[in-house]
Amino acid sequence: MREVHINGASSLYTNVSDEEYEIPRSVSVTENVGKPSLNEQSTPEIEKKDVHSVYDAIAPHFSSTWFAKWPKVATFLSSLASGSLVLDAGCGNRKYLGLNPDCFFIGCDISAPLIKICVDRGHGVLVADAVNLPYRNSFGDAAISVAVLHHLSTETRRRKAIEELVRVVKKGGLVLITVWAVEQEDRSLVAKWTPLTEKYAEEWIGPGSPHVRSLSSLPLQSIPESEGNGSGEHVKHCKGTSMENMYEIINGSATFKHEENTKNQQEYFVPWHLPYHCAEVSGASASALANELAMKDDKKGAVVYNRYYHVFSEGELERLVYGMGNVIIVDWAYDKSNWCIIEVAALASQMGFV
Amino acid sequence: MRLLTHNMLSSNIKGVANGFPLRIEVEKVVEKKVDLNADFLRNIFPKIEWKAFAEAARTLGYAELPEDADSSFLDSDDFLDKFHHALLELHLEEGALICPETGRRFPVNKGIPNMLLHEDEV
Repeated sequence: MREVHINGASSLYTNVSDEEYEIPRSVSVTENVGKPSLNEQSTPEIEKKDVHSVYDAIAPHFSSTWFAKWPKVATFLSSLASGSLVLDAGCGNRKYLGLNPDCFFIGCDISAPLIKICVDRGHGVLVADAVNLPYRNSFGDAAISVAVLHHLSTETRRRKAIEELVRVVKKGGLVLITVWAVEQEDRSLVAKWTPLTEKYAEEWIGPGSPHVRSLSSLPLQSIPESEGNGSGEHVKHCKGTSMENMYEIINGSATFKHEENTKNQQEYFVPWHLPYHCAEVSGASASALANELAMKDDKKGAVVYNRYYHVFSEGELERLVYGMGNVIIVDWAYDKSNWCIIEVAALASQMGFV
Repeated sequence: MRLLTHNMLSSNIKGVANGFPLRIEVEKVVEKKVDLNADFLRNIFPKIEWKAFAEAARTLGYAELPEDADSSFLDSDDFLDKFHHALLELHLEEGALICPETGRRFPVNKGIPNMLLHEDEV
């Protein structure tokens, strides 16, 4: 398989070449969007279709030189004590060679094809869901979530994934999270992404979407945080997208109109070009094309897949963490178009975790 | 799958009160040697639920571990060797992990457990 070599691109996953191209259609998801389940652990259709299936199909082509692009992650791992057990949720095909040789890694990913590639002599891997880790409490010394949370399509799921990271590390253990930022260093890259249309957002979030309400009627105090009682959970989930609207209020924009406020746009499809000679013509890509999961780009000689991303705005990751109450943020940074946060898990007793 | 991983895994099916430890169904076990790291073993030891670990090792065909162990055992090289061997050198290549409450099978293929739940299990 040909390795993808990325020349200083600010996002990790980019096209095979730097040539200009356009996604010829705007994407509105009308099929397969059912009423979202109230259960945060059920996988939404957009994640099955535009995250899991895509990574399954492109798995062999995926770059494995990720750690060179993530100096903050490398620094974090080097700082851990010798003999540390590090849990990596959403590890992709990460190979741990070249990272802290004194640590033992147990990585999981929802994509079985990616996991098959990263089976490593030295470390443990399994197929699992970052939103519902099949781990006992407090087993790890540290946990990392590198470029994962931005694939989760609701705020409730993103928060749950962070809670899982905290749950599975020991008291006082460190958790590192990195996500793609709205604020990309290379704006020309963002131009190649497809924003999700408002039509999609309304259909996805369901009836009563805050999009149809005047933003001035949304009180800031209604941001649901911390104590997750039963009724609170329902409210949290339905108001998933209102979080982005809140930021628009805070950031001073008056109305959420997609066409006028692309700078507040956080939902995107980001393309991945799988060259024809890499694509299994009789396998995943053929059926992907048949099911309109991907498109052919003959000019580029590649099958184009779209991956769903919710990119994070400044402060969004911190806000998710602050709401949890039993962690403190040790460090945060913006690095190479990613927001990055390091938190200490569960200084107090772990309340509410099974 | 090593027994280090097995000792951490727990069935997270909705409604399960205690999903640990998962029972092991063995089809194929392989041994792969790795260097012993005493620092690592000492760090990991307090995390290990020992009874489940010893039982799992027996299931994989290794019966040399003591029924109980405390941290003073870590001073013994012989113990460290056995601990190391069972923790890191025995691999369940093919088989399954079974939820202790529901009996649900999580397959292990080529050493990789698949712990993904179905829609009705979350």
